[in-house]
Amino acid sequence: MASASSPSLDVATPERVALTLPVAGIGYRCLAWLVDATLLFFFWVTAYFIFSLLVSDVLGVFQGLSGFAQTVLAVGFFATQWLYWTLAEVFFHGQTPGKRLLRIRVVRVDGSPIGVYESAVRNLLRAVDFLPAFYAVGTLSMLFTRQHRRLGDLLAGTVLVREERFDLGKYTAAAQASAQALPTVLPAGAGPLASEEVELILAFLERAKWLEPDARRQLGTRMVERLGGLAEEERAAVLASTQATEEFLRARAQAVR
Amino acid sequence: MAESLPAFVGRRRPDWEALQELLARQRAGTVRLEELRRLDTLYRRAAADLAHAQTFYPGTDAHRFLNQLCGQGYAAIYQPPRDRWLAVRDFFRREFPATLRAEGRFVAVSASLFILGLLLGALVVLLEPRGAELLVPQGVRDHVAAGRMWTDDILSVAPPNAVSSGIATNNLTVVIFTFASGILLGLGTVFTLVNNGVQIGAISALCAREGLGLKLLDFVSAHGPVELSIITIAGGAGLIVGQALIDPGELPRAQALALRGKVAVKLVLGCAPFLAAIAMVEGFISPGSLFPTALKALLGLTLGGLFWAYLLRAGRDASLSSTSLRWAMASSRLR
Repeated sequence: MASASSPSLDVATPERVALTLPVAGIGYRCLAWLVDATLLFFFWVTAYFIFSLLVSDVLGVFQGLSGFAQTVLAVGFFATQWLYWTLAEVFFHGQTPGKRLLRIRVVRVDGSPIGVYESAVRNLLRAVDFLPAFYAVGTLSMLFTRQHRRLGDLLAGTVLVREERFDLGKYTAAAQASAQALPTVLPAGAGPLASEEVELILAFLERAKWLEPDARRQLGTRMVERLGGLAEEERAAVLASTQATEEFLRARAQAVR
Repeated sequence: MAESLPAFVGRRRPDWEALQELLARQRAGTVRLEELRRLDTLYRRAAADLAHAQTFYPGTDAHRFLNQLCGQGYAAIYQPPRDRWLAVRDFFRREFPATLRAEGRFVAVSASLFILGLLLGALVVLLEPRGAELLVPQGVRDHVAAGRMWTDDILSVAPPNAVSSGIATNNLTVVIFTFASGILLGLGTVFTLVNNGVQIGAISALCAREGLGLKLLDFVSAHGPVELSIITIAGGAGLIVGQALIDPGELPRAQALALRGKVAVKLVLGCAPFLAAIAMVEGFISPGSLFPTALKALLGLTLGGLFWAYLLRAGRDASLSSTSLRWAMASSRLR
């Protein structure tokens, strides 16, 4: 319901089902990049400290070996600009440490895992996406493409997808032991609810703990009334306390007939 | 009428969790062969559940969970072939040079753009000495005016921007940028090539005027030929990308881009080890006067010649021999 308007990656699998994976937006990507950039920064700081521990006069060494130092710096720059991202994406199934933390992943536009070429392309293109500073070009590209892809993703044919955490337990959670003493009435002859109503009730029950008491009671009452089908005295019993209301709703959502 | 959502989830959940667990182990690389069969079965069942959820419980968390689960299973089962070291060897033996020969006209266009810039820059400075004020960075000009080479102390000069001063600065930035800016409809690549050509041409002409020509030759001759070749190849790759954008042919632009991007990046990846090797030459041999100019020039020409001989010859007969092998096998089977 909630994800209907957000962009997604549609994949037709050989099993003839259509997958719809949620695409990671700019916020996720920005945070993941920050994590990776911080890691790289600390790597260079550590490298610098180790180097200056071994060699006291750092600047003097650089000037003395200008040609060699340039080579080392070029290789180091290369490593940060490219090797880190590419190696991580190839060996950790499309995830750098930052992406793993944010639970996003690079995949091809057909949903399959990326290979060396795709990763190499999208990370080489960072040079252009970064222009003129802090991924301005990349951000514009993400704003104007449907699946939030930067130029590197367009060229490599890749998308970033998001992985969500789901708690399936909420569908089958047993009633709390304390509440089982209360009699739960179910309207006679009521069939199973439509899946939207089940979702609605379960979403409410999940959040109920954190609601203000008044709002909690009001929402519960409205839910019960929406379901309907209760006789007058049953309704009074169900609405007597929030506990009874929620117990009724849970039983109603999980009714299997 | 379908069963209720909680009943469906409750009934099928053990299978999904088993699949989740198998997928996690598959990612960690600790799955045995018979478990792979089970993974396949479970994936197919989950796909059927997804189809069921799509029909009867669209938009619910259970549906989205199944989407994600099947996405992960799909990724695990339909993996691209894993590239091993053998593939790397094959890439450099055959694929990279063959790709370069197939896309030779792009490299040729890139080279002519670069040479065009080179001639323009040199001509401007030779005909109108004050043109150097426009084309050559201030730091370099100061050094030349003082009769010294800026390459004597590269780090203290720190040229103003890495893209523009082609010789002295970071070759990698130049190479990557020359390729990557092809995504700007190829204009970025064209600009980078011409601009680098103009810079190098202008600097050379300035040095020649001020009597530093030999010193410049001393510095660039060892690594110049290979390095400029690599920049040219990267330029060719950038032009491939630009062409895919401007003229995608019968494919949609996005697909043409992804298809040609793969070809282009093969050219760039192939250059990487040569670029690293030539960086070592530039770091150790080019600066200073450890080696005489003649030796450096000889080395540069030899390396350049070897590089192009490799590009133009390597793997040329490989396809021939493999077809003849297949032919031999076929004929032996006929007998």
